[in-house]
Amino acid sequence: MAQSMGTAIDSLNAAYNSNIIPNQEYLLQGSILDSAVEVLLHRLRGLCDNVDSSPETFDDHEMCFSIRVMNTPPLVLRVRRALDHPEMPWQLRYIGQPELGDKSRPTIVRSSLDIGTSSTVVEFLTELGCHLDFEYITKGYMFRKGRMKITVSKIFKVNQGNEGGSDGSGGPPKPLSQSYLVEVSVVAHNGLDAVAEDVRAFADQLRPLVLLDKIDYKRL
Amino acid sequence: MAYSVNIAVEAPVENQIQEITYDGQEIYQSPLSMSENLSKLAQKIDFTKQLAEDVKKEPTDSSESCDDEANSKETLTYQSSLWPWDSVRNKLRNALTEVCVLSDVLAVAKEKRYLVLDPVPQEPQEVKQMVQVFARKKALAGAASVLLNGAERLRTSHNEMARNRNTPDFHIELLRLRQNWRLKKVSNSIVGDLSYRTAGSKYAQTGMFEVTKAEEEPTAGSSPPPSPTNAAPPKPGSALRVTVPSELQGVAYIEVLCQKDQEDLCSSTINLLGSGTTSTNPDVHWQQKLEAAQNVLFCKELFNQLAKEAVQLQAPIPHMVVGNQIMATVLPGIQLIIGLCHSTGSDKKPPPAPPPQKSDHDHVLEHSLHQLLREVHHRNTHHPFPHPASGAIGPSKKRCLAGPIAADRYDLLQMTQGQTLLEQIIQQAQHFFMRLRTEYVLDTIAKEVKDPLIVSHWNALNSPTQSCVKINIMTHGYDTVCRTSLVVHVGEKSLKCVCRDGRVMHMSYEPQELRDLIFCQIYQHQINAVQALAKCMGWQFLSNSAHLGIGAVEPLGNASSCILASPTGDRIIAVRCEPQTGVQVAIAQSPRKDFFPGQLVKERKWENLGGSFKEVRWDKMEGKNFLNKMELLMASLTSS
Repeated sequence: MAQSMGTAIDSLNAAYNSNIIPNQEYLLQGSILDSAVEVLLHRLRGLCDNVDSSPETFDDHEMCFSIRVMNTPPLVLRVRRALDHPEMPWQLRYIGQPELGDKSRPTIVRSSLDIGTSSTVVEFLTELGCHLDFEYITKGYMFRKGRMKITVSKIFKVNQGNEGGSDGSGGPPKPLSQSYLVEVSVVAHNGLDAVAEDVRAFADQLRPLVLLDKIDYKRL
Repeated sequence: MAYSVNIAVEAPVENQIQEITYDGQEIYQSPLSMSENLSKLAQKIDFTKQLAEDVKKEPTDSSESCDDEANSKETLTYQSSLWPWDSVRNKLRNALTEVCVLSDVLAVAKEKRYLVLDPVPQEPQEVKQMVQVFARKKALAGAASVLLNGAERLRTSHNEMARNRNTPDFHIELLRLRQNWRLKKVSNSIVGDLSYRTAGSKYAQTGMFEVTKAEEEPTAGSSPPPSPTNAAPPKPGSALRVTVPSELQGVAYIEVLCQKDQEDLCSSTINLLGSGTTSTNPDVHWQQKLEAAQNVLFCKELFNQLAKEAVQLQAPIPHMVVGNQIMATVLPGIQLIIGLCHSTGSDKKPPPAPPPQKSDHDHVLEHSLHQLLREVHHRNTHHPFPHPASGAIGPSKKRCLAGPIAADRYDLLQMTQGQTLLEQIIQQAQHFFMRLRTEYVLDTIAKEVKDPLIVSHWNALNSPTQSCVKINIMTHGYDTVCRTSLVVHVGEKSLKCVCRDGRVMHMSYEPQELRDLIFCQIYQHQINAVQALAKCMGWQFLSNSAHLGIGAVEPLGNASSCILASPTGDRIIAVRCEPQTGVQVAIAQSPRKDFFPGQLVKERKWENLGGSFKEVRWDKMEGKNFLNKMELLMASLTSS
């Protein structure tokens, strides 16, 4: 038993060192007003793979937990579940600090780890000592082009009585703004600048409908 | 050597030139006559002055009187009394005033505050503008004539083409081509792609084709066409020509044969296409050419994939790949042969060996192969989307769930394994044969056995690897009395039979097993039917046995029997059914007819025990079928 565990850890380390685990996300974000989102959806439908199938919709509820350890910045963990597919596992996600880089870097690079979990993850995190910072519901469309994932989504506020909109007791969730958030991202392992170039090239094709760019959260 | 040159010495011209006419003639001022000379000299004398002063002032006055406009103020000399130079003095003063005024005006104008000098507009010179107008008109006329010539030429050529619609325009053809195929312009040639790469294929061979203009016939163009009867090509042709790569030319298809075992495994040859549509015809339309090339590429990819799998798979009887044929064993004694038939137009005629296998070409399996490859392509492009949306694209739903449900290594390995194309097509072929055999067995039994009727209903919905058939065994005229049903699931290499009473029986691919089963079921049906009939007739059911342990051992199945008693109890019928020898019926009477009290058995009451059974000659019995006969027998034995 010990031997098999040893080999498992060894193989994990080897995998980590040999750069095959996809733990970096190359990302570009932008927004578009509600009045123009139909045009964007049509264009994305033409540009992305699988033109024959209608765009995939999604309806997710995301909760953001944070835990404070002394003298270090708080660790932020996100728990996301699909409201329209309740049988799919919940997702625990860690997103690292985004590196914007200089002008030569086409996209934001941030480390991203996501793990499938059961629905007890909220209880688990609460037991660990995490607090719920905020939560929201996001609904929209997903597209795919090669390795890139493009999402066009609208953020909604969670109604208190609603618990994610499954039952209609609190009423439908309210949108936060009159616009949609557009994101283009690729999750890959370290050091793939060609992928970032591809993301930038694709984002340029969506101009002038939506300007996708590196967003610096600290300067917002 | 010095030559003497005549030199003429002349005085210079004394008279001034007054005028030079246009033809170069000089007109001299005529020399002064004597009187004129004298008056000129006299004018120079100032008679009003004294001689000495006159002499001094003369030169100054004369100089003033000669140039009267350019003098400055210092020459102003005020004369106290009038004298003969007064007019001169007045004139000078006037001149001075004028000059002063002029200088003041100039000074004021220079300041530009109160007075400004503006140029007086010149009158337009009409003569020059007309020249310009004429020049421009001529230039425009020249340009217009060039343009009109060009337009005229275009119009005539367009009308020509509209009249001879035989050869359509290159650009319109290109537009049509572009609507169907992907084209790209590379340097100065047009290149297209007919492979399935964007549909998900990962095959290495490219499907590039080139588009060029078709050669122009000498009669086309701006010259008026000669009479259409001569030198016109038989077919109109199109304006563009596509060049497909040489390995994709021609027509190809995948031939699938199922045949029984040959003694010599390599003897089955697949003949190349005997059926028409050779594409040697260069005038074939580009759409058909491209479609044929695409089909060739698809068949090549399919065959390549199958051949790779045939070599890699470990089967109990190994698959053989020879040339462009793959041979796989489907069932013992039956082989599946998949071959790639590719005929280019340049081949010689195929040898006239009669292709009897050609009629065996299984179109259904060929279509299945195409569908399977298309499914592989589809899976390569349509990856499931992640839910929730922040997940990774790619893992299937099972794979996503594998983490939370703590799947072990074995489960994960199972998830990665899938069936290859060859395995799938072999399974489909196996199922096809199983179905065929099952149909044959059921049809044969239905033809042979008339007494209970065998009715089989095949399910309309089935899959390529599973079908179901429901079999009803019933007697004609008594179908409401008793009916035995069973369902047979036909799989790839086995059959599963589910009976009404819950028994499940698994059979192998041998058809004899199903036949035996059906026969057993038939005779069990008879016994059950007799029991049901007895209920209808009012006869009592005394006992039955599905697997009788008495009597001779049956070669097939077990005998079954039942014993019935009449309503009054005085008659007993015993029936024994078994698949090999059929039906035996015997009857007994309750009060024995042949009771005689003997030494051991003295009393009369023992006659009620019942007599021995006497067999009925069943073939002489009246009745259409077994149940009918039983009914009549029961009816005849019933005594009220």
